[in-house]
Amino acid sequence: MNSNVENELRKMVAEIIEVPEEKLSVEADFFNDLNVDSLKAIEIVAAFEKKYRVVIPEKDIPTIRNLGQIVAYTKKLNIQ
Amino acid sequence: MGKPTSKRRIVISGLGVIAPNGIGKEQFWDALKEGRSGIKPVRRFGTTGFKCHMAGEIDSEFNPAEFLGSKGLRNLERTSRLLCSAAKMAIDDAGLTINDKNTDDIGVCTGTTLSSLWNIAEFDKEAIQDGPLFTNVALFPGTVMNAASSQVSIRFGIQGFNTTISTGYSSSIDALKYAMDFLRMRRIKTVLVGGVESLSLVNYSGFYRLGYSAGINGEELSCPFDRRRNGIILSEGAAVIVIEDEESALERGARIYAEVNGIGNCFDAFRMGKYQPDARGLKKSIKEALRTTDIGVSDIDYINASANSVYEQDRLETKAIKDVFGRYAYNIPVSSIKSMIGETFSAGGLFQIASSIGSMYNGYIPPTINYEVRDSECDLDYVANCSRITRINNVLINNHGPGGSNAAFILSKWN
Repeated sequence: MNSNVENELRKMVAEIIEVPEEKLSVEADFFNDLNVDSLKAIEIVAAFEKKYRVVIPEKDIPTIRNLGQIVAYTKKLNIQ
Repeated sequence: MGKPTSKRRIVISGLGVIAPNGIGKEQFWDALKEGRSGIKPVRRFGTTGFKCHMAGEIDSEFNPAEFLGSKGLRNLERTSRLLCSAAKMAIDDAGLTINDKNTDDIGVCTGTTLSSLWNIAEFDKEAIQDGPLFTNVALFPGTVMNAASSQVSIRFGIQGFNTTISTGYSSSIDALKYAMDFLRMRRIKTVLVGGVESLSLVNYSGFYRLGYSAGINGEELSCPFDRRRNGIILSEGAAVIVIEDEESALERGARIYAEVNGIGNCFDAFRMGKYQPDARGLKKSIKEALRTTDIGVSDIDYINASANSVYEQDRLETKAIKDVFGRYAYNIPVSSIKSMIGETFSAGGLFQIASSIGSMYNGYIPPTINYEVRDSECDLDYVANCSRITRINNVLINNHGPGGSNAAFILSKWN
């Protein structure tokens, strides 16, 4: 796993959902553990798309529920 | 239509102000009493190439986290920060507790017209720069006109009606009228009535390019009724009042500032950007405001003017006052707080109300500052440069502008 990508993503998500970076573990569920609402979820997707210039297909969005899954998704897209 | 017979009395029980010359009612009232201006060079954006460089900007002393906490501020645009902070002050000032029992009986009504421009401009800029697939979604909710008003309801858990009135210069008083109708129809018990505008390069340049800004054809000065007047100094800020029916205010033992008395409005659009040459709409609004009260023309102790240092606006307001009040016009002190806070556009009426509450409460009339050169067409008592200590029972507040919207409102001492 590329830790640089993970750190960048942690920073991005932490800023959007307003939690300290150190509290954002790879397993914490956005909805159940971190109280992420639908608007913030869209914002995470949009920020990811903007950062990596990709468009995430609708069907993939519900499968991404924590930071670890976002990092895994970057691997799937071959983002270094 | 005759005078209303069994009118429900509506009172003001809370106030929150974020003005260019003072944050919070005490600071604002003190500044007005001392004739202190909040107009200074713009810092939020560059004005290179413009002939004007001043604005009534809310400076960095304003910290929304003080009123709202830091959570959730990231995506709250400037207008919502201003309005929500003023609303928080007003709710606390009124001693109003919002809970499951009363939330449906509380409404929000806000006057604002230009405030979403900044967000629209930012959103568009990203769409053009990065392409429409990569816009910043967080900016989108703030692109709509009712964003700030809605944020007040969301943040304070208010579930009654929520309306935004965008009628330009008269938005605040039109919003107040709308809220009063809700109260009189017994559809609500309490309303937070707000006015807000925020400064951005987009609206600054809009007024400038239309030729409304002071400094294009003369001194860059907000000097209502003075012969040197040549345009507005654009400003920003928010003011919120809590209004409720008298019974409910008394029931909860609230401190009552004043009674919301007569109100009138009239649309008299003439030509694009031109004032109706006889101030017909403003005169009709003032007459309607008087008609809906039990007081007569000689009971008006003070007129809080709409005059904003635009040549025609100040002249026509003076004419309207003289046409309605006749010879008695010369006995009524008239002053414009826009000499100190500039033109806050849709929020103007609420600032005039906030200032008038202070006048009534502390017994003074705020001055028209920067008044030096007399204009023969503006010959009333403008309370020049120094505030005047006096007892005030009834204030007439005027709102008008070149867009055709006019409103007038009478605030009375509550007994």
